[in-house]
Amino acid sequence: MAQTRPDRTLGPQHDDFWGWCDKDELRLQRCDNCGYMPWPVVQACEQCGEARFAWEKLSGRGRILSWCSFEHDYYRGLFAVPHDTILVELDEGPLFVSNPDGFARDDIVPGMAVAVRFIDAKDRAGPFRLPLFANE
Amino acid sequence: MSSNSWVKMPAATRALRGKAAIVGVGETDYHADYQAARAKTPAYEGHTSEDLAITAFERALADSGLNRGDIDGLSTSFLYGGPPVNEMAVMLGIEPRHSFAGGGIMAGTIPTAVAAIAEGKCDTIALVYAAATRSIGRKFGGNVDEKAAEMPSSYYYHHPWGWSSQAAHWAFIWQYYQATYGVTEEDMAAVAILMRDNAIRTPHAIMRKPLTVEAYLASRYVVRPLHLFDLCLVNDGGVCLILQRADKAADRPHTPVAVGGWGESYVKQDKMDTLVRKRLRPQFEEAGRQALDMAGLALSDVGHFECYDASTMHLINHVEGHGFAAPGEGIAFCKGGGMAIGGTLPTNTAGGMLSGSYMHGWNHVAEITRQLRHEAGERQVEGVQVSMFSLAQTDQVHPLVFTRGA
Repeated sequence: MAQTRPDRTLGPQHDDFWGWCDKDELRLQRCDNCGYMPWPVVQACEQCGEARFAWEKLSGRGRILSWCSFEHDYYRGLFAVPHDTILVELDEGPLFVSNPDGFARDDIVPGMAVAVRFIDAKDRAGPFRLPLFANE
Repeated sequence: MSSNSWVKMPAATRALRGKAAIVGVGETDYHADYQAARAKTPAYEGHTSEDLAITAFERALADSGLNRGDIDGLSTSFLYGGPPVNEMAVMLGIEPRHSFAGGGIMAGTIPTAVAAIAEGKCDTIALVYAAATRSIGRKFGGNVDEKAAEMPSSYYYHHPWGWSSQAAHWAFIWQYYQATYGVTEEDMAAVAILMRDNAIRTPHAIMRKPLTVEAYLASRYVVRPLHLFDLCLVNDGGVCLILQRADKAADRPHTPVAVGGWGESYVKQDKMDTLVRKRLRPQFEEAGRQALDMAGLALSDVGHFECYDASTMHLINHVEGHGFAAPGEGIAFCKGGGMAIGGTLPTNTAGGMLSGSYMHGWNHVAEITRQLRHEAGERQVEGVQVSMFSLAQTDQVHPLVFTRGA
């Protein structure tokens, strides 16, 4: 069953990211001009200002750089606490905030290898596929 | 909080060094108000930005020994809503010939005011700040109702993964820092305890009961590994600083506190990496160098340090970022007494935002004013001549340097 999650940021460019997720592909913007790979999604390149990007398919692999667990219920019941979050350094460079899939904070060691896995989720805009990371 | 909640500040230039000085300071009753709000005292109705601003202004005016008619400039800094600056002037009973709004956190307001004074737009300006943070029930994570375009994307972008709040940023940093430098939560307790010890010496500070390592470790996690006592307070309050042209400031009843220098530096890209792995060190170094160069001072001249302690981890970021301690050694520096009153770098001597009052950096500059006047009572840093304030959020750094006398 699809997990209910707090709302995504949608709109131009953002929709492209989530559209690729719906195909179970993790793709990020790659600047057409300077080659910089921003994340989160931007409208103009943070390095050179260019507004044209290619959506580059990533390996989906990375390593855990940091992690934290939410015990305070910031989402007022929308997302059960406690829940774990991880900061994944993707092999291609960007740092990606996500959740562990199939493991929890006590299993984490710095630099642990992880790989993307998509799950069914929904928010107020509808159903979508959400990238999480599993122990590789 | 909006990343654009301040006016664009003038560049750091030596021509503006010492052009103006703080001659009046006023703060609201943080401790009493917090107690009343917590106790839900029947007659206590909470505060508005307007009444907080008025109280702070009246106290600063009395402190400065000036007359209402002497105030010919006004700046307003309302974090979460407040009246337009011209209406505020009417409420304060002043007729400023120069005014500006949108100051916000303690970043660009003082530099902008100094430039206005140097340009002859006004001679004596009241800088009024107020935030009814607690009374309005301000939330600091989850879905906050603000225009996303004005915030750093890390404040809202990771909602689908349940990751948001300022605390979440410091939590990622703190977890990474622990793994990198082999320090523990128990070590970090020393920072929270130092802020509490300083607050206990500060009559208007909010948290005035001793804090122990055991109580720190037993406090609930908000965003683990951050405990409740790793995070700043949420309270109502107002601060007013009266800034005057330097040549006039010498006539005031209290020793003037001159604005020596300022700086600013922003993270352009790779924000999460710069924050978690570099802990904004490039930005602290750059902005700190600007401020000290402008003031004509060296880091070793700084005898008292105030920094934006949104969390204990962030306090350490400031201390290490400016070079007061080597990377990874900030907590040991604190545990060794270096940051205590009487240490080599007394830090957040009124308890900062962790135990003093969450006034977005304005409380820190109020404390600098008292320290450089040598009127800080039992927490006075002996003979201090130079104080540095450092503000940093998740993607920017804004230091200010102050000196005793005008």
